[in-house]
Amino acid sequence: MKNYLKLVNFEFNRVVKLFAVLLGITFVAQMAGVFFQSRKYLDQANEQIYELMIPKEQFLADFGQMSFIDVINSLWFLGPIALCAAGVGFYIFLIWYRDWFGKNTFIYRLLMLPTTRLNILYAKLTVILTMTLGLVAFQLIILPIEMMLHKGMVTDEFRLDMSLTEILASTGLNIIIPQSLTQFFIHYGSGIMAVSVLFTAILLERSFKWKGILAGIVYGALAVGVFISPLLLQDLVLDGFFYPIELFVIEIVLVLIVIIVSVWLSGFLLKKKITV
Amino acid sequence: MKKYWKLISTTAIIVLSIGTFYVNVALSAEQFPTFVIKTVSGDKAEIKPLVLQGYYEETNSYVSNNLTITTEGSTYMGYTFLDQLIGQPDVMIEELQEEYRGFMRGKTTWIDLFYEDEQYLAYGDVSYKMGSMRLSDFKFDVSLLNKKDVDTNAFTLEVPNGENLEYMSVDSVQLNGNELTLITQNSILKNDEYYDEKHIYTINIDDQAISSHEELYQVTQGDGNTYTNVQLVETSPTNTNEHIILLKTEEEMMEEMESSRTVEMNQEIISYNLVTKERETIDVPELNLEENQLSFFEGSTLYFTKVAEQELVVTPYNLMDEQVGQAITLPLSSDNEEGVQPPMIMVNNGKIYVAESQMNKDLDANVVVADLNTGETLFEGQIALEDSSEEIGNYELYIHEIVLR
Repeated sequence: MKNYLKLVNFEFNRVVKLFAVLLGITFVAQMAGVFFQSRKYLDQANEQIYELMIPKEQFLADFGQMSFIDVINSLWFLGPIALCAAGVGFYIFLIWYRDWFGKNTFIYRLLMLPTTRLNILYAKLTVILTMTLGLVAFQLIILPIEMMLHKGMVTDEFRLDMSLTEILASTGLNIIIPQSLTQFFIHYGSGIMAVSVLFTAILLERSFKWKGILAGIVYGALAVGVFISPLLLQDLVLDGFFYPIELFVIEIVLVLIVIIVSVWLSGFLLKKKITV
Repeated sequence: MKKYWKLISTTAIIVLSIGTFYVNVALSAEQFPTFVIKTVSGDKAEIKPLVLQGYYEETNSYVSNNLTITTEGSTYMGYTFLDQLIGQPDVMIEELQEEYRGFMRGKTTWIDLFYEDEQYLAYGDVSYKMGSMRLSDFKFDVSLLNKKDVDTNAFTLEVPNGENLEYMSVDSVQLNGNELTLITQNSILKNDEYYDEKHIYTINIDDQAISSHEELYQVTQGDGNTYTNVQLVETSPTNTNEHIILLKTEEEMMEEMESSRTVEMNQEIISYNLVTKERETIDVPELNLEENQLSFFEGSTLYFTKVAEQELVVTPYNLMDEQVGQAITLPLSSDNEEGVQPPMIMVNNGKIYVAESQMNKDLDANVVVADLNTGETLFEGQIALEDSSEEIGNYELYIHEIVLR
């Protein structure tokens, strides 16, 4: 446990710069987004009301009030989120390959550590999860700040206020911040499954080089196949045999199975097959 | 500890931020008002078996939800993830799923496809393959459960002349002895013309074969602006009927300046005897169909209704002796106003259950039970907010189904 925590801390400190950069970009770009989107709307309102002499009520009827959803659906806002997602996706690979191809092949030392090699895998998995949730938590913290800025810029009569939950429900953000705790666990549970399968594929490649790439692809396809098999069966073979709740339980069990098998296989590769 | 500060602070922020958010979600969950059926007069026991299914929405907001109202109060469809996943089938379907979990597996949760009596639970549906261009391979899925010995008889049958079908759906399922009757709506394409047809298939359960098949009606698209539709008149899914009743309506589309409205031109009632396979048009001169609506039928009685001066006038008509019976009146809260939906009606065991189908701040909705033989009102009540002092904005409550438990 202690060794594992040390490894997690070590791995986290290696990524903390990238993490901080992503947070910074997100904050700056989204704040700018609130500012520019609000300005855009206000300029439009000014032009319509003062230059074209359209009455205020008429303007509101034509263009509607501005809500925070208009901010969220802009590139200013979604761009940084996409960048963070890409960053994490990229780092899933980098977290392994930097140990091989970085300065002084670091994987030697990691594998020499007097602890079970599985801890290396767990630590890396934990760091990816921490990074992802850290970005999500940060988004949740800055959302109210952005909404306050929006409130300050657009006056009451031109602004449609909605609660945070309503805003999240009506935008694409509900993928990263789901509506309920159950869904939160579903989304991030499937995320952990995906990362563990990718790690296994990476370790297959590291163990068997070219053949390993093929094996990794096959293993990934197999995992996806296992995961969607009940859904396919339900529709194509059994003709709706399962009740929805049963299907849900089966899927949860399958996700757990895929994670366990991936971890076990990764552990086996790390102990017996890994080549440096 | 000092070494770990970055990791510890990040973890703390994650737990606090996401935790706070979901605690807030749980605390700020939408609170919907509770509706109850308030007794005005009569015996509250009369509405014990009554379940009203409806829909509540708040005007000028996105908030809306399905609800059921019973004597115990109202329950809304939950919208936690699991509730969404399971969905909310009809009350009757839910009860069947609890009681006959195995039998109900993989069956469409649609009440019209089921028939239930003391001894049997029957199901009939049409399945098809979705091709890229059209549907094909139409088959009947038939299941019959004998409740006494828990024996299920299930089989599929080819739909005769299925290759001509564009689409097909089941309107109603009836069981008479060992014959299961399916009334279906078939759409076919002939010489580039679409036809809607009502068909009746009788399936012999013992032989697992279609014993008779008849086309009841064929309706073309109509010429110009007239449309014809044929509807099956509602009956309770737990009754055995010797007849099925169809209501044929011809409508004309009136194009107006900015909109179009439909005007009913004429209506005709057709009864079909399931035993003798005879069809006849029912003409009741005393009851003109422009004023009276054919709302319900049970056994061999048709029930015509009309709303007038805060009363619902129900006139029974007996198919056997072709006599119009004694009309009874039930107290309603609203008049026959423009744009207000007619009340919902259900007849069972000589009693009639009526629920007005719309309620808001200015409209009340009565719930009335009356004895059909004596015309006496056994219960009169009103749907009301449990907490009348509760501050809620403008809302609309619609009732679209009466179910008896």
